[in-house]
Amino acid sequence: MTGRKPKKFTAFLWHRRIGLLAIILVIILSITGIMLNHTESLKLDEKYVDSSLLLSWYGLQPSGEAVSYDVGDHVITVLDNLIFFNSYPVGKSEQTFHGAVKTEQLIALAFDTEIVLLTSDGELVERMPTGHSFSDIQRIGIKYQRPVIETSGPLYYVADEHILDWDAVTAENITWAKKITLGETKLKVLLESFRGRGLTQERVVLDLHSGRIFGEYGVYVMDAAAIALLWLSCSGLWVWWSRRRKLRKKRHFQKHHRKQH
Amino acid sequence: MKHVLPFIFLIYVSTINAGGVYQEPDAFIAEVFNDNVPKPGVIWLDKDIKAQLKDILGHNYKGLRVRYWQQDDRTAWILDEIGKDKPITTGIVINQGRIERVRILVFRESRGWEVRHSFFTEQFDDATLKQNRELDRGIDNISGATLSVRAVTRLARVALLLDQQLNKPRAG
Repeated sequence: MTGRKPKKFTAFLWHRRIGLLAIILVIILSITGIMLNHTESLKLDEKYVDSSLLLSWYGLQPSGEAVSYDVGDHVITVLDNLIFFNSYPVGKSEQTFHGAVKTEQLIALAFDTEIVLLTSDGELVERMPTGHSFSDIQRIGIKYQRPVIETSGPLYYVADEHILDWDAVTAENITWAKKITLGETKLKVLLESFRGRGLTQERVVLDLHSGRIFGEYGVYVMDAAAIALLWLSCSGLWVWWSRRRKLRKKRHFQKHHRKQH
Repeated sequence: MKHVLPFIFLIYVSTINAGGVYQEPDAFIAEVFNDNVPKPGVIWLDKDIKAQLKDILGHNYKGLRVRYWQQDDRTAWILDEIGKDKPITTGIVINQGRIERVRILVFRESRGWEVRHSFFTEQFDDATLKQNRELDRGIDNISGATLSVRAVTRLARVALLLDQQLNKPRAG
């Protein structure tokens, strides 16, 4: 036993610990706070994010590849389940895309168990589920200006004039839909359309400031950082006040007691 | 308690995956017409019909035409409408302007599958459309399946409206 009292967890000790713990979050809060105060002068709402990492984080970067088919004057593309007529989104399908052809009046798109019909202006006409009688579409082609379907079964099916019903057909004189690769410019326009208006820098800074960029619990982390800041203010005041009191006591002691010796 | 927990778990498991394909649409059509399925027809939606559909659905109908099957005075329709997030595929048979049968064919939502039961679908039997495009009767709600109940009710009204449109020329 040394006779010394065990060391207490003083306000200063906690001030230091919490300060060290919250340092990164407080830096983020401070910098993003300043940036948000000057959004207009920094033009954060006019600048768009290019980083593919950030775009992926926000779900704005497609995870799959664009699958495109030429249908005369237009191109049909499916990208991450979104159907595009040229660069305009016209619908969604969670099934695999097997091609598109231009028929006499309409454009027919083939998915696993569904045919989607569009007008030549890209307007949706009808979604036709194939049902169990013929499904599992492999590819789509054209014969006598009518769509023809190849399934995993041995038969091929051709649509009637108005694409209402299907009949078995021989596999002769069918021109199958051919996949194309989009040029750089067309792909860029398509990606812009996929992302909508895009992601502004203001959105990212705002989400960093609120913690939402880190997901559901990020907000609570930033709440903790704000509480830590509150604690640091109070404990800092307490440390300053207690030190000042000790200093006063010391000066008082030196002034009134030591001089007597 | 230890005997009750597995029971509760079984009830829970049996309810969470109650959705799915109850009947393939073409099997429904085959059943309706006793395997003597007529060739399908389509009704093209002009501005006027689209406006009426929007009034019923509360949103624009996606598509320019609707497929149907008809034999004498009976028409059968396969229609989709979103309950909460995903479409509910419903088969509806109309006979002389009155609903003969409503059947839920594919249910893709995680909740509200109770609308598939006959105690719910039988409420539509013999229902017809009033002047204001409402059903001539009230449809009881199912607790916890309100959105699905509303979606199926809207589809019943849509089918009746389309059947009326189809028979308009003949009536005139």
